[in-house]
Formats: sequence, structure tokens, C-alpha cells
Amino acid sequence: MTAPTLAPVGGPRSRQPLGVRVAGGFLVLVVLAAVLAPFVAPYAPDAIDLSASLVGTSGDHLLGTDSSGQDLLSRVLYGARTSLIAPVLLLGLAALLGVTLGTLAAWRGGWVDTLVSRITDVMYAFPGLLFTVLIIAVFGAGMTTSVLALGLAYTPTVAKYTRSVALAECRKPYIDAYRVQGMGGARICALHLVPNLGRSVVGYLVVLFGEALMSLATLSYLGFGAQPPSSDWGLMVQEGQAAVVQGALLPALVPGVAIALVVVSFNVVGVRAADRLGSGR
Amino acid sequence: MTDAGQEHALAVDGLHKEYPMPGGGRLTAADAVSFTVPAGGSLGIVGESGSGKTTVARMLVGLVRPDAGAVRVAGRLRETRTPRGASARLARAREIQMVFQDPYVSLDPRLTSRQCLTTALRLHGRDDSLADGLLDRVGLGARESGARPHGMSGGQRQRLAIARALAVDPKVLVLDEAVAALDVSIQAQILRLLGEIRRDTGVALVFVSHDLAVVRHITDEVLVMRRGIVVEQGPTDGVLAAPDHPYTRRLLASVPRPGWDPAAVVGA
Repeated sequence: MTAPTLAPVGGPRSRQPLGVRVAGGFLVLVVLAAVLAPFVAPYAPDAIDLSASLVGTSGDHLLGTDSSGQDLLSRVLYGARTSLIAPVLLLGLAALLGVTLGTLAAWRGGWVDTLVSRITDVMYAFPGLLFTVLIIAVFGAGMTTSVLALGLAYTPTVAKYTRSVALAECRKPYIDAYRVQGMGGARICALHLVPNLGRSVVGYLVVLFGEALMSLATLSYLGFGAQPPSSDWGLMVQEGQAAVVQGALLPALVPGVAIALVVVSFNVVGVRAADRLGSGR
Repeated sequence: MTDAGQEHALAVDGLHKEYPMPGGGRLTAADAVSFTVPAGGSLGIVGESGSGKTTVARMLVGLVRPDAGAVRVAGRLRETRTPRGASARLARAREIQMVFQDPYVSLDPRLTSRQCLTTALRLHGRDDSLADGLLDRVGLGARESGARPHGMSGGQRQRLAIARALAVDPKVLVLDEAVAALDVSIQAQILRLLGEIRRDTGVALVFVSHDLAVVRHITDEVLVMRRGIVVEQGPTDGVLAAPDHPYTRRLLASVPRPGWDPAAVVGA
């Protein structure tokens, strides 16, 4: 099936490439930071201290402060929470809708498939950001709307991917065997087909995670997503912009670097995970 | 017994299936295929690749809808389309079960052997505890009972596939090239197992195969198909010993044996 290789085939405990281990380790740190923010953050994320506006790195403020004197380290630590939870919610919504639609299209075929495929094609042709901004224009800015809108925007991607893997899975004779057993289509799909797609779909979602985080940060940066005084990273970059003109780089740089590192780490880990989850059995 | 269907476990009458071909035209996969199998009987369907034998097998279990013809199990006519209701669907499943060619893909990779059987048993409202008897019946032990397909050999997987088909307690068991993917020594074990099951349960077997040695071993009657048409049918021993049709003779001549000359077969 796969190309023969002399390298030992990896078990669950096999050593990962250095890059994957570094990226994975970093993500574990970010998750810990998000969970333990109240204990490790030196200040409250929204504690304003106008006397310490825009100070650089110092003993009191390891990563400096922004123009309101809010401690950037504390804000970045707390910001990890929204930055991680929001993409999970968004992808959860996209997975729920996308897997349902994709499986339905693959299973039923015919006009159902045509309808689902045409709808996803139309949504593909429509820029995701534009679609999201349109929904936000109708329902108002905010984190909830952003998550819902982006969840819908990511649905066609997930649906298309699910459809393709479900089509291949449906052709396997074990699905026929369930039919011959007299099992109904809905039950085969829900209890046997979708669980067998789980690994590939989860691998794909991990790859999408970095992109989803980026999209959310973009919305917040544009002012459509998280609203002040939230310590969302995208919003922090936007708030920090003004300070750049005053010669203080840190308020924009710190959250920007945080976004970049997390997104890159997710891509490194995600590609590896998709390889292993998608093909390995 | 005026109604011929009554005395047969399986009665097939005039099955017909055509497929549209790419670029126009139609391919006749099966044309006027008729046969009967008595309860506890065993019928072989032989032919080369593309002869339509797998299409016939899939029409029997309802995975392919025939264009014409009827399939009766114990005298009861099977609907050509899958029934909507669950109870009708399950009753239909208890008539005919199938064992697929490749046990590497015909088993759900997520389920252990035992789960594979309990899924089928529960679906049909039967007790989970029957799974152990079934595993024992096909010669799978405690280790295999908790193993997933990728942890088992081809022969073990095919044993499980047979057990899964038996879990439904069918009247007819269709085996589509069920030993083709196995080693010769494992083939013999599986064939012996099928012989025992047939003797013990009285299930009728329909054995689809390209392998004449296998068919000779396990079937009472044989049906030779070529390009969707039944060219010869009758008792296995008779047909294989004294074939009437030139195609059957060529098929027999194609089996390698001592002193065999492939050129003579191809030239014929």
C-alpha cells in the first residue's frame, strides 16, 4: 500500500522529528499558560496603571506595558485562553455541520450530493472573510458572532474534505456487510461510517486550527471580534499599533509574536498529526 | 409440492442486469440466470473475471438491484429494493447473508471480533452471549475475540466474516470468492469449516469462485457463466468430468497440472 521504507515504522511512542517536538512542547506550555493564567500572571489582565504607560522590559513588567499601563505578559497569558478556546468552538461547529453534510452527500449521492457540493462550491467562491464580515454586519460585532460566523465559513471546507474521505470509506465492503446485515443507512453512518472517518477528520481539524486562530485574530484586529477590554491577541495587536508610532514596539510585537508562534506550532504539529492519523491504522 | 419454490432454500428465476458502458452501449452482466439450491445444498458459480458471477452474488443479497427476475428464499419472494421498515429489512437479512472476497476490507477496522459479532446479534435482537459460541464454531479463541482485524491473519479474519454472517442465522450463505485472498493451506481449512457448518446448520451455500478445484471440493451443483450467460449447469462431478460446453472445457484446460501446456489453452 504505502511506499516501502527502511525507517522504523513509528509506534505511538516513536521519536518525533525535533521540530515537531519543539512545536508540541511549546503548545503544551501555551495550554498550561491559558489554564494557569490566574496563578502565573503577575497582574490582572485589565489592571490599568497610567503611571507605568509604555514602559519597556523591566523587573516589574517582564514584557513591558501598553499605553494604558497594562502588563503585557499578563495580558498575553490571559489572551491564550480566548486564542485557544475560540478556535476549538469554531471548529467544533464547523465539524458538526461539515461532517454531517459531507457524510450525507457521500452516502446518499445523487441530487443530495449535487446540492451539497454546489452549495459548498458557491461558499468556496465567496471569500471567507467577506462572508464572515457580512454576517457580523447583520448580527453585530463580538466574539460569539465571530465564532459562529467563522464556524459557518469553515463548514464547506470540512464538508468537502469529509465527503471525499467518506466516499472512499463507503466503497469498502465492510459498509456493504452492514447493509447485508439489514442495518439502516442512518445507523451505519452514525455508528460505523463516521467513527471510521474520525481519525482523518481530526487530523484535518488540527491543521485547520492554526488557520482558524489566525482568522479570529484578524477579525479582532479589524474590530469585529473581541471587544475591549478583552486581552485577545488580535485586539492587542490593533491596540498596540498606535504605540508603534511613539517608538514602543512591544505592545504590538508581543501579541503578534504569540500569534505567529502558536500558528506555526499548530501547523507543524498538525501536518504531522494529519499524516499519522490519516493514513495510519 | 406443485410450487417448485417450496422445496428449495433458494430459487432464482431469470435474473437480468445490464450496466450502461462509458461511451454508449450496454454491458449485460447477467442474462436469464436461473437456478435452485435445496436446503443444505451447495451450488458453485464459476467463470472467468467479468463473467457476471459477482453481479449475481450481489443481486442475491440485494446490494445490486436486478433489472428483471425473481429471487425466492424458502418460497418467499424477495423485494428487489431494500424495504423501508427496520423489521422488514432485518427479516430480509435473515434470508441471505454474504461473505466477501477480501477479509482485509470487509471487517470494520474499529471493532474487535466479539464486538463485530455482538453488533450483528444486537441488531437482530439476539443475545450477546451467542458471540462466544459463534467464535468457537469458526475456531477463533479468546485471543482473537478481543483482537481487531489488523491484529489477525487473513484466515482468522475470514473465519470472523463467516461467523458474522452466521450471527444472523441465515437460510442461505453467499460466498463471493471467499477463499481467493487466502493461502492454499488456509483455503483448505476454511473450506472444511464451511462443509461442517453446512452439515450442522443446514444452511444452503452459493459459492462464487473462479477456482475449479475449490468448487469441485465444496459444491454439489455447478453453474458455468460466461459474459453474463449461463453456458452450462448440472451436478458438479458430471460437469467437471464431462463438460458439454466448449467454454467449460477451456476453463478446465486452463487449470495448471502436470504436463500442462499453456500455449495449447491460449491457442484453442
